[in-house]
Amino acid sequence: MSKKLDIVKKQELLKVEDLHMVYRSGKLESTALRGVSFRVKAGEFVAIMGPSGCGKSTLLHILGGLLRPTSGEVLIDGFDMAQARDGERTKVRRDKIGFVFQRFNLLPTLTARDNIELASRLHNNHFDIAKANEMLRMLGLKDKMHHKPSELSGGEQQRVAIARALINRPVLLLADEPTGNLDSGNSRMVLEMLKNLNQEYKQTILMITHDHEAAASAGRILEMRDGKLLSRVQNLFYAMEQKLL
Amino acid sequence: MLKLISANLKERPTRTIVSVLAVALGVALVLISVGLANGQLTEHAMRLQRIGADLLLQPPNSSHILAISSAALDERLLTLAQEVEGVADVSPVLVMTDRFKQIFGMERQFVEFSPNMEFVQGRMFQAPYETVVDTIYAENNHVALGQMHELLAHEFRIVGIYKAGTAVRVMIPLETAQELNGSPGKCSVFFIRAAADVPLETLESRLMERFKGFTIMRSAELQEIWIENTPAVKPFMMAITSIAVVVSFLVILLSMYSTITERTREIGILRSLGASKGYIVQLILKESLLICLIGVVVGFALNVVGLYLVGRAFPTLPVDTPFWWRVGAPVMAVLGGTVGSIYPAIKAARLDPVKALGYE
Repeated sequence: MSKKLDIVKKQELLKVEDLHMVYRSGKLESTALRGVSFRVKAGEFVAIMGPSGCGKSTLLHILGGLLRPTSGEVLIDGFDMAQARDGERTKVRRDKIGFVFQRFNLLPTLTARDNIELASRLHNNHFDIAKANEMLRMLGLKDKMHHKPSELSGGEQQRVAIARALINRPVLLLADEPTGNLDSGNSRMVLEMLKNLNQEYKQTILMITHDHEAAASAGRILEMRDGKLLSRVQNLFYAMEQKLL
Repeated sequence: MLKLISANLKERPTRTIVSVLAVALGVALVLISVGLANGQLTEHAMRLQRIGADLLLQPPNSSHILAISSAALDERLLTLAQEVEGVADVSPVLVMTDRFKQIFGMERQFVEFSPNMEFVQGRMFQAPYETVVDTIYAENNHVALGQMHELLAHEFRIVGIYKAGTAVRVMIPLETAQELNGSPGKCSVFFIRAAADVPLETLESRLMERFKGFTIMRSAELQEIWIENTPAVKPFMMAITSIAVVVSFLVILLSMYSTITERTREIGILRSLGASKGYIVQLILKESLLICLIGVVVGFALNVVGLYLVGRAFPTLPVDTPFWWRVGAPVMAVLGGTVGSIYPAIKAARLDPVKALGYE
């Protein structure tokens, strides 16, 4: 963590500056990100919207340390992910980031509770059973904790995935089309859950989606096209809601 | 991690069972083969020890194991040996083989030389074409007292059956053996018994002095000498062990390699949760280690069952698996399996997490 920078403002959790990503396959080059820059403050809920192929997933994978950008800067809680080696990025991912995927990505051989336990043990080799049970209870999964993913509905699987992502109290929750594989009822439930997490627990969330309804849950919406951010939109409804709260 | 490993093994029962069985068969193969080979040697050596001789004298450069017919020892040297101070008795023997069967040509007086020679039926041979066999030989070859029996392409009459456990299973008169071998007056080995009051080292030195260049072995060390010198036994044991190790290596390599492909997405998920490359390597290595350890346990069980079945089919077959082979066989199998999983483990750790997450 020697790359921790003091210049980062305290409440600025994520800073992305002039991010470029070029995929190379032999002589072929494909540009996924063309100078993306934005910032996310602690406690914000930001949605990045855009059509398929606009570079959203690449951006999310870079933010999560799963990919290394061609150039640019990605500071998460002061740590430069863009320059870090794989081992360092893995540690940041383990300690500071929670992932929620479109396809849930639960380990199919483990039960709901074991999936959560695994994430916890990867983090600090410790598992607080009471905390996990409480989390599953809050997510309405108390009776499902010993079920394997194949025995759960899509909505239930996504709720387990959210519990798994949150068990280590990450500073940043990255959600990759979290409602993409869900019906409208479950989509609403998951979005409501993310919103509550943000509003009640001040969980910083960055969600990518191509669904306007999903994006509307966020406080700020960034739009992406062809590897670039187009606009920064303040979600007025969200802002009003925040004021009322 | 153990929970994840056991869940993975349970999730793919066929792969797990096949891998475990492959390791188990390797372990059982080593234990049974070595047990049988060593059992034969040990039992043979023990039977020779039970003759009651303290030392064995052989001509220079002769086979340590008396397995091959050799008649290089002049019978006239017998007197020289008997004259050595401290020698109580000497019994000359001509070792012959007949279709993998060892036959001793020996003097009638051998009965007096060997205190453990005990006839259960009949007597010692007195005529040239008479033979005595032990109880195991009689039982296995379905021969009885008084019957004619073909040995060395000649008909011999069985005149005595002695209790198994001493010398070889078939004995014929020394003169007859010399005649059939075309080596009159020659023999292969002198069995020497020391006088009660003479230390073995002293007698050994005296014999070495008298018979310079000759091979002198202590009867008590026969077992060790045999195992060390029996042709092909060590290579055989090594070959069997190598096969078991290679089988473990290949099966685990294949099993783990295929599991990486099957579980590419799971590896991607683990990486997204923050699992390091080292964690992935450990996961694969520990899984293969667990398969090998279960394989070892099952292998020992198969060994017990296998030996029981061998014992039922061939009741007289001696089995003796040395302690170090019981330890070595599983260690080698586990080692083979673990080495076999190194490449898949490294391959898994090097998977691109993004590609792995998108793997269908």
